[in-house]
Amino acid sequence: MEFLVFWLSNIPSFAAPFALGVLGMIICERSGVLNLGAEGFVLVGAMSGAGLLIGYGDFPLLALVVSGACAALLGVLFGLLVATLRVNQVIAGLIIVFLAQGLTSLISRNMGWVNKPFSGLGKLDFGLLSDIPTIGPILFGQDLVVYLTVLIYFISFQIINKTNLGLMLRAVGESPEAVDAAGGNVTLLRFGAIVVGAFFLGVAGGYLTVVVSKIWVDGISGGRGWIIIALVIFARWRLWRAMVGAVLFGCIEALIPRLAAIGVQLPQYFVLMLPYVVTLLVMVWSNVQSGGREGAPSALGRPYLREERH
Amino acid sequence: MQHIAEQKSYIKMEKITKSFGGFLALDNVNFDLRRGEIHALLGENGAGKSSLMNVLAGHYAPDSGQVILAGNAVDITGPSEARALGVGMVHQHYKLVKTFSALDNIALTVPHGAYLPGVRNLRSKVVTKMKEIGFELDLDRPVGQLSVAEQQRVEILKVLVGGASIIILDEPTAVLTDEESTGFFQTIEKLSDAGTSVVLVTHKLREAVRYSDRITVMRGGRIVDTVLPGDITDDQLIKLIVGEVITEMPELSESMGDEKLSLQKLNLASVTGVMALKDITFNIRAGEIYGIAGVGGNGQAELAMLLMGLIEPDSGTINLAGHGDITRLCTGQRRRCGLVFIPADRQRYALAGELSVAENYAVSGILRHEYGGWLKVNRRLVRRLAAAAIEDFDVQGVRHLNQNAAILSGGNAQKLVIAREFSSLPSVVIAHSPSRGLDLRASAAVHEQLRRARDTGAAVLLISEDLDEVMLLSDTIGVINRGEIVAEFSSPADRQKIGKAMVH
Amino acid sequence: MSVAKTLVGRRRANLEIREPMGLLAKSLVLLVSVLIGLAVSVCILIASGVSASDLWNEFIVYIVTSPKNLSAVLVQSVPLMIAGLAAAVAFRARFWNIGIEGQMIFGAIAATYIAINDLGPEPMRLVLMFMAAAIGGIGWILLPAILKIKLNINEIISTLLMNYIAFNFLLHLLYGSWRDPLSGFPNSQQYDALEVFPLLGWQSLNFSMVISLFLVLFVLWLFIFSRFGFVLKVLHGNSEMARSLGIRIGLVVLLVTALSGALSGICGFVISAGIESRMTQSFFVGFGFSGILIAFLARDNPIGILIVSVLFATLVIGGQSLQVFYQIPFAMVQLIQAIIVMCVAGSEFFIRYRIAILR
Repeated sequence: MEFLVFWLSNIPSFAAPFALGVLGMIICERSGVLNLGAEGFVLVGAMSGAGLLIGYGDFPLLALVVSGACAALLGVLFGLLVATLRVNQVIAGLIIVFLAQGLTSLISRNMGWVNKPFSGLGKLDFGLLSDIPTIGPILFGQDLVVYLTVLIYFISFQIINKTNLGLMLRAVGESPEAVDAAGGNVTLLRFGAIVVGAFFLGVAGGYLTVVVSKIWVDGISGGRGWIIIALVIFARWRLWRAMVGAVLFGCIEALIPRLAAIGVQLPQYFVLMLPYVVTLLVMVWSNVQSGGREGAPSALGRPYLREERH
Repeated sequence: MQHIAEQKSYIKMEKITKSFGGFLALDNVNFDLRRGEIHALLGENGAGKSSLMNVLAGHYAPDSGQVILAGNAVDITGPSEARALGVGMVHQHYKLVKTFSALDNIALTVPHGAYLPGVRNLRSKVVTKMKEIGFELDLDRPVGQLSVAEQQRVEILKVLVGGASIIILDEPTAVLTDEESTGFFQTIEKLSDAGTSVVLVTHKLREAVRYSDRITVMRGGRIVDTVLPGDITDDQLIKLIVGEVITEMPELSESMGDEKLSLQKLNLASVTGVMALKDITFNIRAGEIYGIAGVGGNGQAELAMLLMGLIEPDSGTINLAGHGDITRLCTGQRRRCGLVFIPADRQRYALAGELSVAENYAVSGILRHEYGGWLKVNRRLVRRLAAAAIEDFDVQGVRHLNQNAAILSGGNAQKLVIAREFSSLPSVVIAHSPSRGLDLRASAAVHEQLRRARDTGAAVLLISEDLDEVMLLSDTIGVINRGEIVAEFSSPADRQKIGKAMVH
Repeated sequence: MSVAKTLVGRRRANLEIREPMGLLAKSLVLLVSVLIGLAVSVCILIASGVSASDLWNEFIVYIVTSPKNLSAVLVQSVPLMIAGLAAAVAFRARFWNIGIEGQMIFGAIAATYIAINDLGPEPMRLVLMFMAAAIGGIGWILLPAILKIKLNINEIISTLLMNYIAFNFLLHLLYGSWRDPLSGFPNSQQYDALEVFPLLGWQSLNFSMVISLFLVLFVLWLFIFSRFGFVLKVLHGNSEMARSLGIRIGLVVLLVTALSGALSGICGFVISAGIESRMTQSFFVGFGFSGILIAFLARDNPIGILIVSVLFATLVIGGQSLQVFYQIPFAMVQLIQAIIVMCVAGSEFFIRYRIAILR
């Protein structure tokens, strides 16, 4: 029973970075831009958040905002590559990852941020509510970002589905020609989606360092950026499915330390493989279930060019 | 139809010139439109009709010239400005978001303030407009699920609700059935009666003559003449359009041999569960052209795909003389049995733009191991045979063999495809809409090639939505309707009877 | 009556597709963009405290004048070259093989298995290791390839996930049953002398160089001369057309990805048998992405891959001395590679499109 409580109460903080990351990806990809640079944005966010805490003091929430902002900056570069210069989006994504790996390694070493623990962001205490047995720690013992994430999801849903901006965003990902003919600026819309998406991916990265590990080392994201990409496919680019996927992964990741804690003897590295194996299975299952690339924005991955010749 | 239109011009385009790179699309064009008139802009593909209208609709900026609206010169800098001036264009390829409802698609183009309240208001405006012109449409279904005619209605509504007083329709009936076309023109006439000016961009002579108040003919980027439909004969019009009278005469087969290709009770269900092909049964003899006539969307594409081996039928057989039952053979095997294919969408299925002209020609021969072994492809032979074929089939625009095939124009690209497919002396030719998008000259050349193949003993299946083409070429005509062959005729056939079978 | 206004005065910029550039023009643009990338990198390095003359020395002078450094560059270029070939081969079938590193791991595991257990007659040992490495690489790419062909599952993610699984499996071996009993470190025991590539007689150059050159020529023949290469070209140009011409796409993709996997496996083998003489836990790091970037820069051309890998190897060797003498972390090399590729990728824009300012 205690195992269950421990496990469930840890799930939200494993799920939160996935949730935020997938949100960013959905915003970006609903506009038609394939984003394979997720790992890069997550890394940049992770380092920036840690850097702020180490270099400037104990401002965890500010650190998360800075994470998002720095990733958004990298997003501007990505936007220039794919929306303006119409570089192949797969290559551009890989370039971003490679660039981010090099940059974060370089900068963190230069600034002496490697392997320096900090206090980061802790869980909230709702007093009496948190003390309720069983439910208390699960529902009322999370850090602020978890609650904010749920709120952000609600707000994003409203914006994407019930506003003109959301209409244009969704239109640009399905049929940029229609938006162009309607007088909308395809490049600008995509740029905006990329930068906002990068922001959330950066916050997800920041969460990994500021809240979860409370330390920075090279490659701390551990490939979560790639899992986030797989989760977007699983989510079929819909917000509520994204939340389900994020929670699913949170469950798995939260399980790993719990199993070790209760002394379940599993070969260590096979356990570490688990998230990736599960992701693969999830991809296959969701593909078989939906019969192909259903749900993807129709214009995903194709650079848009208004051709003046027939 | 014929009614008294205001004599004064509502909108005038003067001395419009536009070139793309080195290509002069519009050469000093003058065009005018009166209030409430239906003005047909008639011409072949590439004559400049769409380009001219794209200038009016703000999609192209002309190199020189001006547009005058109700006496004042206006500066149309983009589609939004054109819309503000009351110009709305319904393009040939609809600019719709397939996953959105009709209402959301309209909301995309028509300003409506904040989304939630705005769309509600928009809905009542749209419903009112629909009643005015007698439309029926489900505003909430995803547009991708609507029929082509219904999608066109969404495009028209977009333009009307946006307040257009000038509507440009680019090849509107290209994808409509005869019935839908009639309904369409009724709508247009209602609009014109209400004072809206309509420009009908088309290459269909019949429609221009029947429904318009004035016809302007364009050729090669220039205005040839503007005439009244009652004052001119069809032959004279054709002369204006193409510059000379090209009449193709039917040439029936001299001798037909034994049965070569036989289709027995082929059935195919489409993804939605509807039967795309039902009990298709017919056969083609050696030295015969069998034409499948029908309105687009009645199973022609599925039949072509099935014969190519890209989809398998649910039941039924295809028999080829000398090879037996070929139903389960894959595409490669069918080609080895002597089948060749001229698909309708050549850019998608028949040409690779990044490969050279010579490579596009030689590819099927290379696959047949005719150009050297697996070790080395004999490039010299490729060049030699490709050069010969390009001359034989009159493929123009090839400066040298290594240039990318993407450069070839429609007619020449099709000739290259045919040159390639015929390089193996086929025993069966499956031709699907072979002259789609080609001008009269290129079409005549394509027809000639099909006849040549037939005369060497091949069995030719011609699937075409152009009834003129089918009647011109075929020795036997089968009419396809809702996936079934509903009638068969021998040439010379009664056009009325065929038409009846097509639409019932 | 107001004076008619002509359509002058409002400018509008439009993107138009250019007439295709000639080969010379394209090469020029490529060269210029590489130079720009290098220039940016040089600026970053100078900003990090390395003087320009030192850079010139480290990267150009010392390498060209010292046979020892030159051979180090060539030795380093071998796995880069093979990884580039592996990426390029897959790209030709429009298969993004991001799993090169995972396939390298399994290639090395297979070869190491043979080495550790001394399988096969001694003169044949290296050959057996070579074949095992190829098979190991093929084995690891097979699942993503089949998933793509049968279910159209995105191979970028699947091959990448396989990387992480492979890496963990490697650690499992190296920290477990394959841990070197002599040193206790997490790498395999050292290969016997006959299980390592023989030297060629000049500096540190060994037989792996011969293998890589052979593979370059092989891929060159495959792409340009062979019939299979032509089929691949058609597939790359228009897969629907390929299908309607009777080409069996699934089979072609399977064969090509298998070749790519084999090359990756061989790459792993070449590092363990040619450079490190054992299997370590980080031998593969960076080669996957480097291979992809090399293939991209060289436009999948084998000779280009040869040239670009030597360039990348120069960066690596130069970077190593920068690390030793100037405390510049090795991540700088990664950064420079990314910057160069970014400039080249961006330059494609100017090759394909033209900005027309219209009146």
